[in-house]
Amino acid sequence: MSEKLRITNNKFIDQTSRISFKFDGKKLYGFKGDTLASALLANNIHLVGRSFKYHRPRGIMTCGSEEPNAIVQVGNDPSMTEPNTRATEIELYEGLEASSQNCWPSVNFDIGAVNNFFSPILPAAFYYKTFMWPGNFWKVYEYFIRKSAGLGKSPTKPDGDIYDHKYLHCDVLVIGGGISGIMAAKTAAKNNLDTVLIEDKNTLGGTTLFQQNECFKINNSYSNEWLMKEIQSLSSLKNLKIKTRTSLAAYHSYNYLLARENLTDHLDIDQKKGKIRQRLWKIRAKKVIIATGAMERPLIFNNNDRPGIILSSSIKKYIDFYGVKCGQKISLFTNNDSAYETAISLSKSGVNVNSVVDIRDKTNSLIVKQAEKLGIKIHWKSTVVNTNGYKKINSIEIIKLSDDGTSVIGKKINEKCDCLGISGGWTPRVHLFTQSGGKLKFRDKDNIFIPDKSDLDQLSIGSCNGDFELDDVINNSVNSTNKFLNVNNNDYENLKIISSKEINKKNIWLLPSDKPLGKTKPFLDFQNDSTAKDIKLALREGFKSIEHVKRYTTTGMATDQGKLSNMHALGIIAETAGVKMGELGTTTFRPPYTPLTFGAIVGRNVGEFFDIKRRTPIHEWHVENKAKFENVGQWKRAWYYPKGNENMHEAVQRESKAARDSVGILDASTLGKIDIQGTDASEFLNRVYTNAWSKLEIGKCRYGLMLNEDGMVYDDGVTTRLGENHYIMTTTTGGAANVLSKLEDYLQTEWPELDVYLTSVTDHYATVSVCGPNSKKIVSKVIPNLDLSDDKFKHMSFKNALINNIKCRVMRISFTGELSYEINVQSSYGKSVWEKCFEAGKEFGITPYGTETMHLLRAEKGFIITGQDTDGTMTPVDLQMDWIISKKKYDFIGKRSLYRSDTIREDRKQLVGLLTDDPKEVLEEGAQIVADINKKPVEMLGHVTSSYFSPNLNKSIALAVVKNGKKLKGKKMLVPMKNKNINVTITDTIFLDKENRRLNA
Amino acid sequence: MLNYNLPINVTKDYSEINFSTVDPVLKINLRGKNREFITKIGKILSIIPPTDPNISSGNENLNILWLSPDEWLLYSNDKIDPVNLHAYLNNDVLEEKLYNEISLAKLGSITNVSDHWVMINLKGKNIFELLTAGCPFNFNKFKNTKGAVTQTLLNHIDVIIHNKDINDLNIFVRRSFSEHLFLWMNDTAARI
Amino acid sequence: MFLINCPYCGERDQSEFSAGGEAHIVRPKQPTELSDDQWAEFLFMRKNIKGVQFERWNHIHGCRKWFNMVRDTSNDKIHTVYKMGEKPPIK
Repeated sequence: MSEKLRITNNKFIDQTSRISFKFDGKKLYGFKGDTLASALLANNIHLVGRSFKYHRPRGIMTCGSEEPNAIVQVGNDPSMTEPNTRATEIELYEGLEASSQNCWPSVNFDIGAVNNFFSPILPAAFYYKTFMWPGNFWKVYEYFIRKSAGLGKSPTKPDGDIYDHKYLHCDVLVIGGGISGIMAAKTAAKNNLDTVLIEDKNTLGGTTLFQQNECFKINNSYSNEWLMKEIQSLSSLKNLKIKTRTSLAAYHSYNYLLARENLTDHLDIDQKKGKIRQRLWKIRAKKVIIATGAMERPLIFNNNDRPGIILSSSIKKYIDFYGVKCGQKISLFTNNDSAYETAISLSKSGVNVNSVVDIRDKTNSLIVKQAEKLGIKIHWKSTVVNTNGYKKINSIEIIKLSDDGTSVIGKKINEKCDCLGISGGWTPRVHLFTQSGGKLKFRDKDNIFIPDKSDLDQLSIGSCNGDFELDDVINNSVNSTNKFLNVNNNDYENLKIISSKEINKKNIWLLPSDKPLGKTKPFLDFQNDSTAKDIKLALREGFKSIEHVKRYTTTGMATDQGKLSNMHALGIIAETAGVKMGELGTTTFRPPYTPLTFGAIVGRNVGEFFDIKRRTPIHEWHVENKAKFENVGQWKRAWYYPKGNENMHEAVQRESKAARDSVGILDASTLGKIDIQGTDASEFLNRVYTNAWSKLEIGKCRYGLMLNEDGMVYDDGVTTRLGENHYIMTTTTGGAANVLSKLEDYLQTEWPELDVYLTSVTDHYATVSVCGPNSKKIVSKVIPNLDLSDDKFKHMSFKNALINNIKCRVMRISFTGELSYEINVQSSYGKSVWEKCFEAGKEFGITPYGTETMHLLRAEKGFIITGQDTDGTMTPVDLQMDWIISKKKYDFIGKRSLYRSDTIREDRKQLVGLLTDDPKEVLEEGAQIVADINKKPVEMLGHVTSSYFSPNLNKSIALAVVKNGKKLKGKKMLVPMKNKNINVTITDTIFLDKENRRLNA
Repeated sequence: MLNYNLPINVTKDYSEINFSTVDPVLKINLRGKNREFITKIGKILSIIPPTDPNISSGNENLNILWLSPDEWLLYSNDKIDPVNLHAYLNNDVLEEKLYNEISLAKLGSITNVSDHWVMINLKGKNIFELLTAGCPFNFNKFKNTKGAVTQTLLNHIDVIIHNKDINDLNIFVRRSFSEHLFLWMNDTAARI
Repeated sequence: MFLINCPYCGERDQSEFSAGGEAHIVRPKQPTELSDDQWAEFLFMRKNIKGVQFERWNHIHGCRKWFNMVRDTSNDKIHTVYKMGEKPPIK
């Protein structure tokens, strides 16, 4: 069979390299250069899928990205299988396996096809309307609908392929490698512009590449021969990069474009491994030239969807480019001249052309005359009213049109055929132009939307700009490209062009039938199965906006985004509603132009590159000592260090006890650190913190609370005065970047008069915190020259010191309530200092502890963690930290907000302590707090923000925010949980060592 | 004695791409707003900090990179002899001199950031192939401009890039991000 | 993705920047003397225009400088950028 359908005289397909592939499990053969679609057609396989709603048999209809029917599942590996790919775009490779979608159990026998017989009761929005009631029955309906519908299967395992992204900056980007794109790219590159030409097919040349016809000649050569020479001349251009197999997906403002390059999809299975499958190019072009061509339109008539009905220009490409006959007895049906090109190509290749059915009155253009000369029969002023054949077309019914074209007259002629080519004219591919924000205008003479105005530096040329005839394409492209690039390329001056000119134009959106509309099935959107009837129904039901009609009927909403159907839908709406198409406008064209794989979208941002991991200089030690890690922002922080089989609770209990009984050691390197210098440094701190800073002595540290302008707590930390005009500020780990950015904002915009410089030094220092009653002994061993006596080195002060000649800063500050020292040393020595402290602490049983123990220890002392006990709605007063608000300062960030009517409300949520009646019961963080469970609706008074079992107090403790909490001290509350209500009492926030004795223990 | 630990300390070779870390080098952040500051720096270092954006100045020992209208990064060219390392880092005469004559003289601020940044050197014909895989910056002009400087994002991480010579550049990345960035660089370079 | 002309560094990709809301809202010099309503006006009230809008942007992954931008929110066209402290161009 395949031999009979393949012509041997073909220069594009290498007929010496046979390739085997599988379709629906059946082993078939094709050639290198075939697409899956051309190989299937060569094997006489037209039926490749079932339609979405009625499960009607559907065949290959096009040869490109607009294909609505031939969407297939590629591969059956659970990690690599890909649904919804277009057979017309898949390049054939050895080992390709593809299968039909949307049919069960098989494409030839599909149970869902019963829907076709029920189609009179399956109108537009049938599902919406029918299954709305009763509401909770949707679950039942959905099961059956999902099973019979669906578009392919998702892979069930992670994608094993590699994808990546790449940025590209160029002077000129040319989209589309057809004749006009090639000329434009050559013009740009020859004029020293850095130029990129992208083409979604594997070869340049577009449709001119195989246009070998007497009616289209340039300088006495066939147009394809002339173009081949042009393509060859591109290789000598240094400024030109050509990317084939690259599909432009999105065109955003500022000439920012995304293009997907297929790198391995065309390779044989065994050659794909280890290579990048697809690359997403992020392109920034100074100028963009769109040369994306045009798509042929179908014609809308009864049963226009049968397998074997193919766009006329696609039949031409299959015969001229792939050397494949779509049938042995082909009929053509058209409203314009281009079907005659197909007829001539077929006839020259020895295919029997039954006739051309043309809705126009007889016309005498060059190409029509040539067809007549070849003896091709033409039915002028006629239409096809029906087609027959279930799984493949076998005949068409032709009738004469009335003079006004609204009805049919005379007798039906039945014509046997095995393929019908249809041509409804051409639609410029303006998708990218409109994606970029360009506005379209309507051209009445041939019913097309063409580019009008754009704010971007871009140009549309060739048939995407509405130039369809060879001489117009060349002349207009050359002129506008020269003008757009401000160059004068005279390569294309004085070309002698022969081009057939279309004389007679006629368009009927919905062709008349011998049957009433209700008895016909004129399909508009082939993939979503919507017909002209559905559109009319929507209009009858009152939908007016094109966007609403689209959604109601789902026309244009399938994976092909209505590339073939949208214009007809618009035309029928305009006609029915009696408005002009230009006034109706179009639906919105959204990216991507063709579907992108998720892999291409995420690129390498998967697995270990999914998110950034920051490590402290001591990270390696934590790993070696089996720490469990916690994510804090992007940091990996040691969470706890389980010993043996300890779980988290056991480890934290042990670590907490050790820190209070002897000594613990914590890696605090992640805290944000900002070096502050300048003569106004003190004034600056006065303005950004709630407390006063001017009087802080050099060498002293102070805790500060930073608010937002709305009075809510933003960040906190200890700041140390290193010199007269020199401070170092610490911030929370997660807040570091935001705090620096906020401080810079105030310095640059509100207070530019202040002489203050901020420099982040977070990564310059490693911070080793030694904490517990024995901490002094360890620090004195590590830094023997440092006088640690309480009167020389007081709490909240700092000393410069040397460890083995390396400079470090030692701060005596505490986040746990224990005597603690923080040693800050430049990061490269951090691990070494840590190890030294650890070694020195061995005799005291020094215990490394992580963030969880740190949180527990500070909760015992009632110290807050911003972001855990606060959530952007807590003022310092709400936190019962009134003591930190300076009464003397005239202003600081957020001060005025502290006495707004809302912030002075007494019944705001306030921070309190909670003790459970059962000391063993540990509350869940986030649990709600209520006073009266019986009063409905139950009033939520607040929630638990921090909760731990304290090994040092031997009871459960918690912090919470509670409405009016300050006044509720001693009151009993309930924490309702799923199975029980927990009794709690509101307490003070400090659970341990209220007198701060331990700081000087 | 304390041990000196670098987060990355390897040399890697790929197709026309070579990575190496050159550490320790001295890195100091310079900030100041007025002419006096510029003049003073010029006097101390014999290099005038550039006031034009996206460039650097320097001599065979030191480089000053423009970071913003009032901020520069000073770094030394050469690796310091490990034997003298401790002495170098502690009694760093240069840093002290700058601090005394700029910070204490109220002309601006001097901050040691030697360990804040990790410097990775990239050499080879394909280094821009690597950078364009994760960086939105337009390198077309930059790559032919000796001494050009940019601050941008590489694989979502802040970096400073100094174009030392044709196909020879230094990337500065914050220390805590350096291992992650280096992992990404190796992953990408292996496929170029 | 915009291409933003940082007044200090030149044209850069939008991903290097962060947006900071409406421009030319001056923090009152004497907040304590304002009524609740006047303070709320400063604190909360922002324009949300379809059309030409004055905005603050920060070249956060570059020179870290704040600057102003005049942008048309209806088509994302950036009319101009200017440094902090400079007078806004007349509409």
